Amino acid sequence: MSASWGKLFFQLVLLLASCGHINTKTPSPTSPSLDPISPLPSDIRRVVLKGESHTEKVELLNPVDLALECIWSGNENKSPNITGYWRKDGEEMQSIRVTVQLENDKYTLRQVFKIVSKENLGSYSCSFGDEAKADFLLAGPQIGEVRDKPIVSYVGDSVVVKCKMDEKKPKPASWNWYKANGTDKEQIFYAAEPQKYEIKNHEWVTKLVVHKLTEGDSGFYYCEGVYAVSTTMGHVELKVITFLEPLKPFIAIIVEVIVLVAAILIYEKSQSKKNSAGGNETNADQTNTPTPGDNNGPEESSSTRQRKV
Amino acid sequence: MPPAAETKLGYTPPDGGWGWAVVLGAFISIGFSYAFPKSLTVYFKEIQAYFSVSYSEIAWVSSVMLATMYAAGPVSSILVNRYGSRPVVMVGGLMVSSGMVLASFGTSIIHLYLCVGVIGGLGLAFNLQPSLAIVGTYFHVKRPLANGLAMTGSPVVLFTLAPLNQFLFDCFGWRGSFLILGAIVLNCCVAGALMRPVKKSVKPQPKTETPPAASEEDGARSSDFQIEENQTESRCQGCAHRFIDFSLFKHRGFLIYLIGNVVMFFGLFAPVVFLAPYARHQGIDEYSSAFLLSIFALVDMFVRPLTGLLGNTKWIRPRIQYFFSFAVFFNGVCHLLCPLAQGYVGLVLYTVVFGMAFGMLCALLFEVLMDLIGAQHFSSAVGLVTIIECGPVLLGPPISGALVDAFGDYKYMFYACGVILSACGIFFFVMHFYNYKKLDEERKQSLAAERRTSEEAVKLKMSPDDKAAYEAEG
Repeated sequence: MSASWGKLFFQLVLLLASCGHINTKTPSPTSPSLDPISPLPSDIRRVVLKGESHTEKVELLNPVDLALECIWSGNENKSPNITGYWRKDGEEMQSIRVTVQLENDKYTLRQVFKIVSKENLGSYSCSFGDEAKADFLLAGPQIGEVRDKPIVSYVGDSVVVKCKMDEKKPKPASWNWYKANGTDKEQIFYAAEPQKYEIKNHEWVTKLVVHKLTEGDSGFYYCEGVYAVSTTMGHVELKVITFLEPLKPFIAIIVEVIVLVAAILIYEKSQSKKNSAGGNETNADQTNTPTPGDNNGPEESSSTRQRKV
Repeated sequence: MPPAAETKLGYTPPDGGWGWAVVLGAFISIGFSYAFPKSLTVYFKEIQAYFSVSYSEIAWVSSVMLATMYAAGPVSSILVNRYGSRPVVMVGGLMVSSGMVLASFGTSIIHLYLCVGVIGGLGLAFNLQPSLAIVGTYFHVKRPLANGLAMTGSPVVLFTLAPLNQFLFDCFGWRGSFLILGAIVLNCCVAGALMRPVKKSVKPQPKTETPPAASEEDGARSSDFQIEENQTESRCQGCAHRFIDFSLFKHRGFLIYLIGNVVMFFGLFAPVVFLAPYARHQGIDEYSSAFLLSIFALVDMFVRPLTGLLGNTKWIRPRIQYFFSFAVFFNGVCHLLCPLAQGYVGLVLYTVVFGMAFGMLCALLFEVLMDLIGAQHFSSAVGLVTIIECGPVLLGPPISGALVDAFGDYKYMFYACGVILSACGIFFFVMHFYNYKKLDEERKQSLAAERRTSEEAVKLKMSPDDKAAYEAEG
């Protein structure tokens, strides 16, 4: 799958090279890592700077030769030359500082970076002098579906914490789970406590099952999807509460129901007493049904039978 | 105004007073009965993950609840006939409550099927039937309005329960939510407490004074079921309706209603179920799709009492069956035109019109049955109707789902539902036209017959006096 994907992008680069003019004023790119003969697929990301700065997110999962290109139209005084340089995570990459010439009324800065491991990810910035800057954020894909509100469960119960990767993106090679411990993250190892934790991975979904919950199990859990060069991290909060929590509103509502039912029936009884005191004879039988439950029905039918006499 | 109905009851319904409190009780009960199974879907995702089951297995919980609610109709009818509405509704409320509380401790999906599905469904059945029946005993003149108001409970409770369920779920997870829902549903007992049995004050009526012996002969000849029932009632009011009245199956109006409804229910609920998925299929985001259902419920909420009010007017009341036929037909046309709706605005328009049509239909659904049968037989009738409707109610959405899957497009499902509903609308219209004609003929016949019997009665009264005078002389 990645081979055909790579071919496609290679063709795209060739196409761009032939139709546009790629300003390679720089001598052959001296990227941090050497290896001119690489079977890696290629990709290109281009940014046209319109304002002062621009940020572009790049999602990477597999090793790739990534060409980053910045095009700037310049400012009022279009000087023929300007210094273009690259920064990685804020630190300047001295070896690839170049002088960019104005061509077709714009400056173009292009660099190919080899992305093979996690260290190669991060923030890459291209700058034209001190005036224009663009950032490329190279990172793993965003986690797909993860619950943003806390999952609530009960002491002694078990819970399933789920992380799902977007199905449009490739499956992670593996998944790791971490539990937040203060500011650190502690990895959960399946083998260490098999009665407590269970990790079930299935394609794009990973599930962490936590058994015999205690209040100490509350907190943040992190799922990490591992790809060839990047990882993706999602977090879910777990809250463990005791059964007393929902019991309070439960009892409150039950009390409300009992009060209302009693009030209605007492009202009815007082009404019927008034009626019988008023001497309404024909209704006497029916109105002697103040008490709740089964008394009403048979009395009703018996009174109708009485009428038929 | 159907004249015979009043005499059937044997008393004058209050048409107000405590009746409005009863309508409030019915509003709550009916609301919970219809809205509760639908609102539980909020919890399904988590319960599905918890028990590691597929979505269809968890969806069975709602289906079992709905099926039990409909299938237990006759049981409910028998109990109402025997004990009256109040105790049945209160027991029903207790049952649903205990079902939910037990479910909150559930350890397997089967546990949920039994507690929520069977016990809960049974409890809801004990809420639905008696509520509908008792409204009929309290109202006659304003009955369509009262029915419309009572049926408004369904969208109002659904509208309230949906966000409430979401809130409970976020705070307490599914177990705590089930526990609290068990308490909330106990308010059906409050509704039951309001359902005071109606005071049946006797009012002397000239028609029932005719001696049973003389009128029986003519009554037997008359094909009018209602008049015949009047005679049987005057003989034994209490015991004839102790159990289910299977003689309803000979009643012309009842048969029309039953046949039409059974076919209609196949196409009635499917568009509601598939509204949100259809919107998402059109490319609309999840929240806007869900919002369509809120719009639907909101429109439904206002249309039901309005329909009740309309049904009460002197122009519509005598021919309310036509109004119902129109409502059914309107639903059908609405669905046939749905595939023409483009974009979100089109869908909103469709939802509003559908809400109106659905609200009209539901407000009149039981009113027309009461109009055909009369309040005395209503509880038996509604029990029989619901158990027979159980099939189409359950099968409708899955069959529609199969249609969608087979063609890969929702429009065929909408066409199918539209055709079914339009056909039912026309069926109702034609059959009720025929039925009204027959009823008018029978009424004329019975009026003529009663005039004859009253003349004979006068003659009979005269002859003993003559005899006495003769003996006195002689």
